[in-house]
Amino acid sequence: MDRAEVMDRVVKILTPWVKDEAALAKVSMETNILEDLKVNSARLVDVVIAFEDDFDIEIADEDVDQVNTVGDAVNLISGKL
Amino acid sequence: MGQDVASGGDPQADRENVIRNAERTDPGMVRRHAQQRLVSMVAGPIWVGVSVLVMRLYFRYRIADVRRVRASYRRIRAESKAPLLICANHLTMVDSFLIAWALGSGLYWLLHPDELPWNTPERKNFGRTRLQRFLIFVAKCIPITRGGAREDVGEVLERVKYLVAQGETACIFPEAGRSRTGRVEENAAAWGVGRIVGAVPGCRVLCVYQRGRKQTTWGDWPEPGDTLDVSIACIEPKSDARGVRRSRDLAQQIVRQLMRMEEEHFDARK
Repeated sequence: MDRAEVMDRVVKILTPWVKDEAALAKVSMETNILEDLKVNSARLVDVVIAFEDDFDIEIADEDVDQVNTVGDAVNLISGKL
Repeated sequence: MGQDVASGGDPQADRENVIRNAERTDPGMVRRHAQQRLVSMVAGPIWVGVSVLVMRLYFRYRIADVRRVRASYRRIRAESKAPLLICANHLTMVDSFLIAWALGSGLYWLLHPDELPWNTPERKNFGRTRLQRFLIFVAKCIPITRGGAREDVGEVLERVKYLVAQGETACIFPEAGRSRTGRVEENAAAWGVGRIVGAVPGCRVLCVYQRGRKQTTWGDWPEPGDTLDVSIACIEPKSDARGVRRSRDLAQQIVRQLMRMEEEHFDARK
């Protein structure tokens, strides 16, 4: 699976939790999940679990510390595939 | 049935590993923590005393049945030397002070300084000016920016994990922020508290439910002159899950306990 495909799936997974649809429309690898997409930080665990289920991977708590942007999520997931 | 952590089964040895790991990977954090702990302890007679006076004389708060609450807390402490994390519902900006005051007198905290919980206040509320930052430094606070950069949030959680593993305690609000509905909400629970509990083998959680009799919802502080009802319960969350699922599972167990305590609080007032 290439990075573009991973990114498409990541954005699809994030969509239900995104509160800024305008930011979602112009999402890029640099888009910040909390600041730009306005995902509630308390819901981040649900997002990460959705990543795990969709990609069939396991993500440790410490890995989540590295995920600020969509690109960080794509890189983390790609590294585990 | 659940496991505390994937380990050789000796919680004490596992906790020592947590401490050694922190000392090896982040000696700067360990050093800063020791410095802040010392400053807070030395300045304790002043800031603890002033806090109690402000709550008693300026705000005129009362803790209902405070002797029973404090006796229960001392009994829970005496039952086990296992690490203890305090988790409470969150309605006002002064909840941490109220909870500490409910669990022990000013004199008690001066005699047991390592039992006085550390706190993680929102930096936007308490860390905007140099004076605020100085005061919260002295008062055993580790500011956190909720919704901030993940590495920064992670560093705070790692520090809390370290201090709990070595026998100190912290007061964490599983809902992260003050409840906008005035009630404990399971879907508002953050998972950071589960991450701490899951990473410290044998960690117990002292759930504290506190509410002013005039409090109907969240605010900056309870109405002056209010009487607060406080209940406490000690649980040992366990989970067979792994990774973030485990942290979420543990956090949800804590929040559900607080929800039960809230229900009992309101049932008692019908």
